[in-house]
Amino acid sequence: MTALERNNVVEHGPQDGRPMVFAHGFGCDQNMWRFVWPEFAEDHRVVLFDHVGAGGSDASAFDRDRYASLHGYAGDVLEICRELDLTDVVFVGHSVSAMIGVLAAAEEPERFGRLVLVGPSPRYIDDGDYAGGFSREDIEGLLESMDSNYLGWSGAMAPVIMGNADRPELGEELTNSFCRADPEIARHFARVAFMSDNRADLARVRTPSLVLQCADDVIAPDVVGEYVDRELPDSRLVRLAATGHCPNLSAPEETVGAIEAFLAA
Amino acid sequence: MTIEGEAPEDSAEHLFEDAPCGYLSTLPDGTIVRVNRTFEAWTGLRREDLVGARRFQDLLSPGGRIYHETHYAPLLRMQGTVREIAVEIVRADGTRLPALINSVQHDDEHGRPQRIRTTVFDATDRRRYEDELLRARRQEQETARELSRSLLSGSLPAAPGLDVGVVYRPAVSGLDVGGDWYDAFWLDEADTIGLVIGDVVGRGIGAAATMGQLRSAVRALASTGLAPGRLLDALDAYARRHEVGRMTTLLCAQLGLGSRRLRYACAGHPPPLILAPGEEPCFAWDGRSTPLDVYPASDGPRGEAAITLAPGSTVLLYTDGLVERRTESLTDGMERLLRVAASHRDESAESFVGAVVRALHDPEHVDDVCLLAARVGG
Repeated sequence: MTALERNNVVEHGPQDGRPMVFAHGFGCDQNMWRFVWPEFAEDHRVVLFDHVGAGGSDASAFDRDRYASLHGYAGDVLEICRELDLTDVVFVGHSVSAMIGVLAAAEEPERFGRLVLVGPSPRYIDDGDYAGGFSREDIEGLLESMDSNYLGWSGAMAPVIMGNADRPELGEELTNSFCRADPEIARHFARVAFMSDNRADLARVRTPSLVLQCADDVIAPDVVGEYVDRELPDSRLVRLAATGHCPNLSAPEETVGAIEAFLAA
Repeated sequence: MTIEGEAPEDSAEHLFEDAPCGYLSTLPDGTIVRVNRTFEAWTGLRREDLVGARRFQDLLSPGGRIYHETHYAPLLRMQGTVREIAVEIVRADGTRLPALINSVQHDDEHGRPQRIRTTVFDATDRRRYEDELLRARRQEQETARELSRSLLSGSLPAAPGLDVGVVYRPAVSGLDVGGDWYDAFWLDEADTIGLVIGDVVGRGIGAAATMGQLRSAVRALASTGLAPGRLLDALDAYARRHEVGRMTTLLCAQLGLGSRRLRYACAGHPPPLILAPGEEPCFAWDGRSTPLDVYPASDGPRGEAAITLAPGSTVLLYTDGLVERRTESLTDGMERLLRVAASHRDESAESFVGAVVRALHDPEHVDDVCLLAARVGG
């Protein structure tokens, strides 16, 4: 099985355009970028994918050992880049995938031209002077939240595809499908993502980076964005007016504008 | 028919304020703009402290807040509506209200979100019941796993010129344990070991208990000196008399360490794989008959086969979880096993089975998998 099949890789735009790889965060799939990627598809080779266990990925490729840390997910990103023979990549990672991009760029710097980190956090759990915003108990609470929500969702949920605008009768079935994921894998991913500590990896990145920080982001608070910006050797921080954790959905225009400005600089 | 005169209880105000559910209206970023009396009563939170001051997600437990940001908010934005999301709302006194929420996003004529309307249903009793169900399910899975672990524990035969390796991988957590087992033990003849691999139909505690019974029965029968084919006949009789283990597949073998003679009989189980030094790996397709307790008596005794292994040969027994995948044929799986086994043939038995299972086992772990490898005279 190729990485392209495993990770449900979807491409748009000209093959000879500068590659832009969009990585979705915990909880959703590549549809997370649906308001953002079209703005770049005219002159970029847009690469979308789903992490193993999410969206249209091949859940049978899940391996507890391989994905025991974010390095496994970073390995997938590198495999995709290798299979598509991508260089000078603009990697756009949301939430936990921002750190996955950090790891991938530290591993194979020659592949990456720019990193765009949307709501990054290298560590979610408070540690001494470092304020990640959460305690260990909070993360356990998240796992409970996931458990109680998966109870109501049939494990046999039909593999429905988002964006069936031409088939509105599917609307009912589509409920919650955008967040469809194998419950066991999602739980594992949550634990790995929110228990990880990748602070030391930031200094290993040589790639010019952009940190996009939302206002009132309860998952990646402002001080965390500042920390990431400070620790990355070549970084700039841009504060968005958008609130919450998903500016790619709630404020796509502002998000696109900030990325364009960074790439033009 | 019409009802004369509208009672004050039927006014829109009443229907909203005293609805049998909490009702909130928020800005797209979650800032609360309106909240009804039921919500105030359930949570002890007062509207003057909420409206314009707090966001809905601020009222959730910290874990629920992450869930809100990573699942609920994106879903709502993408679909315009979400239903039956389980959350816990932190009351004014710090206690938590388990709730199910439904939300609808209202857009202006340009499709820009303006308001989110959310109804909140008290799910205290339901959550308690669900917690009980979850606990019971986990308990049962853990018990079955523990049972299976304890049945498979015990030391393996060790002797000069013999190298035995085993691996047992239960189905991924969340699924019930299956009934796969392996066994390796000394027979009364001092230089002969018994090798067994089997797969009981079904899952959970029942399958684990059946596996334990059959494993003990095979050990007891083997100790009487029965050859593999006769042993399976006796096990058929045992299974029929005690109504246990019907359709189980298993392979019984005896391996002489000095003679390197392998006698085996296979009841509907995947064939053993033989790796002889300098030769292509191959499956041993002889000595086959039907699974346990479905062998027709009119066919006479079950067959068995024997081969003499070259020095340094490895025999690999395994269960079907190793070669079966939902997405491909059994033949493909077995061909892959040949390739993978060949590339790891020079490793010790223990690292050999580990490498094979890592390379082949369907990571979805829908089935248990057991491997048992024995190398003689290497």
